[in-house]
Amino acid sequence: MATEREETGRSQGRERSDDRHNKQRVFWRTILLMGLFGALAFVPLVGRLYQLQIVQHEELQERAADQQTRDLTVSADRGTIYDNEGNILAMSATVQNLILSPKDLNAAIEENNKRLAAGKEANPNLNQAFVAQGLSQITGVDAGKIIERMGKTNSQYEVLCRKMENDMSEQVRAFIAANKLGNGVYLEPDSKRYYPYASLASHVIGFTGADNQGLYGAEYIYDDALSGVAGRVITAKNGAGTEMLSKYENYIDAQDGRDHHLTINATIQGFAEKALKEGIEKYDVQNGGFCIVMDPDTGGILAMASAPDYDLNAPFEVFDPQEALRLEEMEADPAVDEDTYKGELGKAQLNQWRNRCVNDTYEPGSTFKSIVVAAALEEGVVSLDSQFYCNGSKKVADRVIHCAERSGHGAENLADAVRNSCNPAFIEIGQKLGAEKFYDYMEDFGLLSYTDIDLNGENKGVVWDRDFFESEIGISSLATASFGQTFRITPIQLITAASAVVNGGHLMVPHILDYTTDSEGNVVDTYPVTEIRQVISEETSQTVCQLLEQVVGAKKGTGRNAYQAGYRIGGKTGTSEKTGANENEDDYIVSFLGMAPANDPQVVILLAYDTPKPSYPGSSWTAGGTYISGGNMGAPMAGPLLKQILDYLGVDKQYSAEELSGADSTTPNLVGYKEATAASECKRLGFTYRKIGDGEKVTGQIPVAGAVIPGGSELLLYMGEEKPTDPARVPDLSGLTPDETRQALAQADLYMRGSGSAQYFTSATLCASQSIPAGTEVERGTVVDVTFVENVTDYRPDA
Amino acid sequence: MAKKRFRDKTYRQQLAGGPVDLPFLMLVLLLTAIGVITVFSASFGSAYYENGDPSRYFRSQLILAVGGVIVMFLVSRVDYQYLRRFARVALIASIVLLLLVKVPGIGVTHQGANRWIRLPGFQFQPSEIAKVGVILFFAAKLAARQPEKKRKWDPRTRKGRVLNFLERIGFLELLPYMVILLLMAGLLLIEPHMSGAILILAGGAAVLFAGGIHWGWFVVGGGALASGLWFIMTHTDYMARRLSTWRDPWSDAQNAGWQTIQSLYAIGSGGLLGKGFGRSMQKFLYLPEEHNDFIFSIWCEEMGFIGALVVIALFVLLILRGYWLALHARDKFGALLIVGITTLTAVQVFLNIGVVTNLIPPTGISLPFFSYGGTALIIQLGEMGIILSVSRQIEAPRLG
Repeated sequence: MATEREETGRSQGRERSDDRHNKQRVFWRTILLMGLFGALAFVPLVGRLYQLQIVQHEELQERAADQQTRDLTVSADRGTIYDNEGNILAMSATVQNLILSPKDLNAAIEENNKRLAAGKEANPNLNQAFVAQGLSQITGVDAGKIIERMGKTNSQYEVLCRKMENDMSEQVRAFIAANKLGNGVYLEPDSKRYYPYASLASHVIGFTGADNQGLYGAEYIYDDALSGVAGRVITAKNGAGTEMLSKYENYIDAQDGRDHHLTINATIQGFAEKALKEGIEKYDVQNGGFCIVMDPDTGGILAMASAPDYDLNAPFEVFDPQEALRLEEMEADPAVDEDTYKGELGKAQLNQWRNRCVNDTYEPGSTFKSIVVAAALEEGVVSLDSQFYCNGSKKVADRVIHCAERSGHGAENLADAVRNSCNPAFIEIGQKLGAEKFYDYMEDFGLLSYTDIDLNGENKGVVWDRDFFESEIGISSLATASFGQTFRITPIQLITAASAVVNGGHLMVPHILDYTTDSEGNVVDTYPVTEIRQVISEETSQTVCQLLEQVVGAKKGTGRNAYQAGYRIGGKTGTSEKTGANENEDDYIVSFLGMAPANDPQVVILLAYDTPKPSYPGSSWTAGGTYISGGNMGAPMAGPLLKQILDYLGVDKQYSAEELSGADSTTPNLVGYKEATAASECKRLGFTYRKIGDGEKVTGQIPVAGAVIPGGSELLLYMGEEKPTDPARVPDLSGLTPDETRQALAQADLYMRGSGSAQYFTSATLCASQSIPAGTEVERGTVVDVTFVENVTDYRPDA
Repeated sequence: MAKKRFRDKTYRQQLAGGPVDLPFLMLVLLLTAIGVITVFSASFGSAYYENGDPSRYFRSQLILAVGGVIVMFLVSRVDYQYLRRFARVALIASIVLLLLVKVPGIGVTHQGANRWIRLPGFQFQPSEIAKVGVILFFAAKLAARQPEKKRKWDPRTRKGRVLNFLERIGFLELLPYMVILLLMAGLLLIEPHMSGAILILAGGAAVLFAGGIHWGWFVVGGGALASGLWFIMTHTDYMARRLSTWRDPWSDAQNAGWQTIQSLYAIGSGGLLGKGFGRSMQKFLYLPEEHNDFIFSIWCEEMGFIGALVVIALFVLLILRGYWLALHARDKFGALLIVGITTLTAVQVFLNIGVVTNLIPPTGISLPFFSYGGTALIIQLGEMGIILSVSRQIEAPRLG
């Protein structure tokens, strides 16, 4: 513009004064500069500031705050895990991590050296090797490795040793103080998980990793709630990294993890694990086993054991002795490379961590018949009056299926079929039910879906699809399914379905969590007891319970080895073939599915042993002389286990009239025999005995030979000790319960023969009269007849 | 026409005794006041950590500001017409001073650069004086310019024809200015003092432009400068590296990019309204030079986008008022003086804010009235005094 004016000026000639021309040029050029520097130049600046302060504000502020603040995490305490009685299953305690700051340590050493050189007071020993040696001695960490870490001269955080317990950390603290290591070596608090019961319920509780994160079991499933929310302390720091305490500080309190109360009962878990272990030893079981104890009314798991197991305090160690040895050799063997070893170690660890109750499937075998019979009764295709005939086998679609009893059970009713675990009868029941209904019930009993138990890695059944099962070619599958073979389900699926069978038909969601509490003990969350559906009616359920009680209670029941007088145990044995891939066809899983008391089941258990070792391949007997079957292995272990559990739970005992009176037996003469002989004689006649004294031979017995006393009574055998000859005084029994009566009489070396009107004698049944009056002196070993009556409570209107 | 109030004063004295331009004075005082207060807040951290005395820099800046205002007042009392005679001396003195920085004992070496001269009690940058010297000299020479009176040489000789041609295109007139500018810029570049060189070139060029030198030369000069810069940027490792950290400071966040990043953090975390006066976090040893070249970042952090706009608006008003005064100056000399000084200030503000916002590649340049620093503020205010002096001789608008 200025130039234009210039041109114009020139064209108009030189009349105009130079000065004026000149001035105009200055004027317009100044205007131009004014526009350029007074306005235009600032446009990009303002734009840029807008970009930084408004558009990128959040981002830049965040990044600035990042460097301006020191954000310290305040760890939240991990919640404690309790059993259902408040016993601590898992807890956290403070431990220390040993941290090396090579930068600070080297500075400290340098400073010390300077002082030494200057002749000032200093530590003459202080150098890297000295510190490394000292720390190595206390912690056991290799000194060479510590020196290596010291080489990272720029680092200020090298973890030398994790989770040191108090005594070790105190030694380290003393070492740091003694050598004035300052910030070069320091302790950092951390927390460590302790499991007071070690291996107890290891598969349910699970364990945590190095950073206290849950890896397995409840620790994993409830990790979030157990961990809580870490708190933070945010402080300002300046560019040199120094904290500025005068500047803002911000605290966010840590929220401690919730305490978790499980449905698991440590005592019952102990019983279950003991029964599992004893059976494994007794029957030379090759592949471990599992045991679940469930409260059928809620689906709560009282105990869940899986063998092999491991110590939760050292979950990464291999606890199987053979496996541990093999791995040790492998590690020492230079021919085996690191990866192979690690792979094998991993496999061994996974194997012991595996919770077979939920992670694995198996063929349930005859235990499944309890579900089949429930379905059949519910559908009305069979009744207690149904008749079956078993000639030892049954032909289904060109395939002959044998009964366990090769000679056949002959004519039998439904109860007999259940009691005998008769395969042909059950094939018939299955066929009466029909494939469609059968499949419906499998579905309804939850065998085709996950139970949704709150444990990790749950598996579910491997079952034919419906189309196949209902088709012509599925007909033999229906037959085998009727006695629990050729399909696979998890133990938790089976016991959940079985609980529904006996609890009145209610299929519950199994669970291990009962409720959670906050640090003050207030209940925060309660695991909702959830019924998925009612599968069968209350009546059908009761009927099946009766049938199952007979399996155990009847003289010829396949489960009779589980019988315990006074506990009304019902159940079903199972001897499943292992027909899966990678499984040996001659191997069996022997199991017992039991419940008690049969009139109102309080617990359901499933106890199984995987592959008891036959004495020779193909044999049906173990080297110890036990026939390999659920009835001979599962039942005898399950019976006492149920007894223990019911006793512990304080469930009333109930005696049948028959149990109370017993069939009388005549006592043998045992005087003069060695103990072993006496013991086998007692066993043959159905007596038990108690040893008094520790001589070799029996020197006296109560009662004397030829006395008639109730069968199963306890004989007193004096071995070397003097047999008392003074008479016994009959105690006053009035108002005592059957159990108390028996005990009172036993204390006086007397025997009880009970009778009365009730069908079952419980603590509500009381002694009404005794055949020998109280106070009478009688010979020891005398039988006292006691009559019990039920204590009837009459309701009266209040006076 | 100023009123004749003192009989014993000459006409010139009367002119020089006119009132200073109040808006301009107010803007200068306002910016100086805000600047001193900002130094207090910005220098708080480093003063505290370096000496344990958080107000150390503030006190010294306050004294300098007061001194500067007095200098400004005194300079404004001087009739700027005298400066014409002083111009040649000022230029020579400037060149001598720029040479002196290289003399050991007088020149001070700091971070590998010789930019300061030490005198008993204080030290100063000769480049500050050289800027004024160049503007003064150029303004004085160009004010006497008579473009229509071209020199003539004998067109019959080859030399004469060449000279005639050069005279016609204005080259011969431009030559001495170019020599002076290139000499000055060269001296500054060997200090080295890149930003000083840029400012001298900018100030000188502005005076030349306003003074009437043919616009084509600015196109040629600009082109030469741009291609020179382009060459340096693309063909030297040093500049290439600087440019790459300019484009992405995070590529070398711990070293070369550190200051830029810290500045961006400061500005960015200010947001719309800022953290509040005194509440900057970045001044606590994060942002280097936080009370010198990067003081504006701290201002932005504490006062936000709004505060930044306020300061920019004050600068814009100051610059616009400066040019306005140039337009109304009594004579061409006064106008060119103001144009030079105002342009110098504007370019300095632009470059400083451009650098702290990473709009342009980093170069060490201070913010007028704000940056802490010895004599720079006094000289700055002295320059303002010259503008005020010119403003005194502006004819008052006729009443009615």
